[in-house]
Amino acid sequence: MPIKVPWLKGVFPALVTPFDRESEAVDDEAYRRLIRHALPDVDGIVTSGTTGEFPYLTREEQRRLVEIGVEEAEGKPVVAGCGASSTQEALALAGDAREAGASAALIVTPYFLHPSDKGVYQHFYDIAVGVELPIILYNIPQVMDRYLPRTVVEDLADLPNIIGLKDSSGNLTYTMEILEYAGDRIDVFVGHDEVVLPALAGGVNGMILASAQVYPEVWQEVVRLVGAGKIPAARARQREVQKLSRIFCRHGGGVAVKAALRMMGLDMGPPRRPLESVGGALIHETRAEIRLELEKLGKVPIRGVSFEYPDGPLTGRFADLEITAEEIGEYDLRVGSAVAGEGVNKVQIDLIAGGKETPLGDAYALQMTYPLHRREALTTILEPALTVRPSTLLLPTLPQKNLRQANMIYGPAQSALGRAIVDAVEMDRIPQQVVDSDVMVALVTIHPRAMDRHTVARSVQAAAAEAIEQAFGLSPSPGDGRDERGR
Amino acid sequence: MGYKTDWLRGIFPALVTPFDSEGVNEDAYRELIRFLLPNVDGMVPCGTTGEFSYMTLEERKETVEICLDEVDGRVPVLAGTGCTTTRRTVELTSWAKEVGADGALVVAPYFLKPSFNEIYDHFRAVDEVGLPVVMYNIPQCAGTHFKWWTAEGGLLDFENTIGIKDSSGDLPFMEAMFEKVKGKVSIFVGHDEVVQPALGAGADGAILASANLIPDIWQKVHRATLEGDFATAQAWQQKVQKLVRIVVRCGSTQACKEGLRMMGVDVGDSRHPIVPGGAFRREDREELRLQLEALGKIEKSPVTYHLGEKQVMTDLFATHQTPDTVSDWTMKVGEGFAGPPFQELAHVDLLIGLKDGPVGRAIKRSMAEWGEERGLHIIAERPRTLLVPTVTIRTQEQRRLFERAAAGVKLAIDLSIEDGFLPEPILDDVVLIVHAFVHPAASIARRVEGNNYKAARHAIRKAVEGRPTVEELIAEKAAARHPFRYAP
Repeated sequence: MPIKVPWLKGVFPALVTPFDRESEAVDDEAYRRLIRHALPDVDGIVTSGTTGEFPYLTREEQRRLVEIGVEEAEGKPVVAGCGASSTQEALALAGDAREAGASAALIVTPYFLHPSDKGVYQHFYDIAVGVELPIILYNIPQVMDRYLPRTVVEDLADLPNIIGLKDSSGNLTYTMEILEYAGDRIDVFVGHDEVVLPALAGGVNGMILASAQVYPEVWQEVVRLVGAGKIPAARARQREVQKLSRIFCRHGGGVAVKAALRMMGLDMGPPRRPLESVGGALIHETRAEIRLELEKLGKVPIRGVSFEYPDGPLTGRFADLEITAEEIGEYDLRVGSAVAGEGVNKVQIDLIAGGKETPLGDAYALQMTYPLHRREALTTILEPALTVRPSTLLLPTLPQKNLRQANMIYGPAQSALGRAIVDAVEMDRIPQQVVDSDVMVALVTIHPRAMDRHTVARSVQAAAAEAIEQAFGLSPSPGDGRDERGR
Repeated sequence: MGYKTDWLRGIFPALVTPFDSEGVNEDAYRELIRFLLPNVDGMVPCGTTGEFSYMTLEERKETVEICLDEVDGRVPVLAGTGCTTTRRTVELTSWAKEVGADGALVVAPYFLKPSFNEIYDHFRAVDEVGLPVVMYNIPQCAGTHFKWWTAEGGLLDFENTIGIKDSSGDLPFMEAMFEKVKGKVSIFVGHDEVVQPALGAGADGAILASANLIPDIWQKVHRATLEGDFATAQAWQQKVQKLVRIVVRCGSTQACKEGLRMMGVDVGDSRHPIVPGGAFRREDREELRLQLEALGKIEKSPVTYHLGEKQVMTDLFATHQTPDTVSDWTMKVGEGFAGPPFQELAHVDLLIGLKDGPVGRAIKRSMAEWGEERGLHIIAERPRTLLVPTVTIRTQEQRRLFERAAAGVKLAIDLSIEDGFLPEPILDDVVLIVHAFVHPAASIARRVEGNNYKAARHAIRKAVEGRPTVEELIAEKAAARHPFRYAP
């Protein structure tokens, strides 16, 4: 049970601060919408925390956020982020928060200049003594470049209005040390979304999280399950949100949270500059992953897809390359086809190989000029600057409609196809003498809803290996009347 | 009181150790030493660059003995004898004394992290061996950065401790050394990127990985500094800065070995887990080669191009991987990659082929049928070059950056004409299709241009020389790691 105040437990979202897209002004209405969205599943809210971009907010703006929070929170506690580099400013912010009706102030380790441990103690002491408001200490070395020293926390815990500590480090050795030395006098909250379950199991009393405005109900359940001693079930819930939590913690912070909220229909606007909505801390590829994870959690609707794996006679599947069945015979081109994987991980490879001076050579060069929009061909590589031989193009059969689909081709399919080819060369399935004289094109069909890069890569490698064996005459082609050499 | 010794000054290479499947490759090691001897003031066998930490005690002894024998007293030999434990370090240093090494370079005991008192006591025990000792600070590898009082304590109080090698690159630390011990012991710099500033500020010499490649240039820097000609010393440092940055930061042992091989001194590869294409990335190899060419360390030799009936002789900066003849120009594939930064990295795929072959036909047809719609451009006429954007260009900003990428590719083509890879007589016979990738979130225009220049230049050379070879692919496939293969 909480030690100094009865309400300090459970799930608190570190709210993002919505800004207008043009003026970058705080968008009050959007903030109200966000709080109403999160409120049913939370035990309180946190304004102007790190996720709320507090260093980019003015004193007036921070006060306003607390006021809105108190108006909207229906009596649930509002914790006001009052972090500042100087003691004077932190004091002023905490004074404002008290007047605006906050239940507590969350105060980060003083940053930028590097005060000594004595200076850090004095900072928190001055605020605790100077403002009649409960104080939560805040350790976040990822942005402050230092830990809030345990020995300082140990002493600060004696002050009557220091009620807790939020540890965002994710370093459980620190959390455990704080619990050991101050856990009898203050409540410890976890602030790192990736380690909620282990921290709860280790004895923390609750959490202040960026992700608690995206999936607070998951965290409520984790709290309940841990409380009931049902650790395997809690572990399973944590696992469901592990990747998204990692993205919020390490690949974009509040920017990633805003991207997720926007996908869920809550437009919180851009971050303040110099942060950018995408392309900076949050890269495009990762943003595509956020949608994927939200789909899995049922937070955004899954878009339906309809498509087909290529079928019919194998020699008829290379029409996009303008290569006909007759030409395959006439120029001794080799073909092979194989499928691997199940469900959304099913991959089909239709492979064609032959001399550079055949129509395949022309097709190869032509595909490099991108005649097929959204089905741009890729040179097959093991990794950048390791181009495989024989030179092989990977040609997706389905249009790449978004980055999530492209993410399966660039990298996973590309390197797995490369590996299958080099394996085949090493094992002499592809004879050495054609390594320079021939080229290949692999038509690759990946389910548009494929999600797991590792599984896709394994499927591609297996299918490609088999298609190569067929083409180079080591195993029979599917019944299309061709001889054992795939011709 | 003056210096404890007079021989510890000047340029010492931290010799790489050539290995073969049996062990130390003695012939290659002797060849390396003979190659370097004219331009060095001393030799360091079994230093960090010598991969001492990957060698058995017997191999380290063998290496030091070969070095002593080959050098034969012409310059001092400072043997790397540092080990993790004090007992072994004392034993190896005693052995080095017996076989006649001039001194021992002793690294801070590494892996487990002894306290500074324990480190001090370690050096005191080594000092008692009686062989001149150089303390060696290399926090990048050893995991501890000397405190000035540890270094000062040993350097001034120990009888046989004659100097310190500081590879940290931490100039404030080095300044503290000058303040405390200058003129009494030798202070050597071991970080190739700050040699000139360190020498200019008072260092007595340098022990360097890159002195395997450019000892003559380091001697020029040293000499100019002694003569007070700082402008000359600075100019040389700047001229080699890129090369040494690659060596220091991108897998120094493998970088030096591949550099030497390109210069004609085959010292093999580093021992595993250092692998080709690892810390010394493939793009680093291409850049190192270009730098060695610019410094005159790789010579040109004639190569014949067969284009059907036509034969063209061209002079290339050839390495062991350059064939004597290049035939079948139907269609050659080349690829290059250059970064960082991530958003500005360049990935160039290209085809070089005969104008009347598949590549020429593809250019004609694509320009006629979908060139405009897909943003294709002819960026050069000789050789005719079609540039294809790998990512569809949507915004004005992307267009602006793609133009910078195009400028980079164009420069690569121009310089490939100049250096002979695309010799004048073939420019009307071959054509190129070049893919350039500009990330939609790229912003630093100069890096977009620079990286595309590099990637395209590498790709042209690789296409012509047929690299990577099948042997390289087979050797490296298991460890290959595509950066986009993994989820965040």
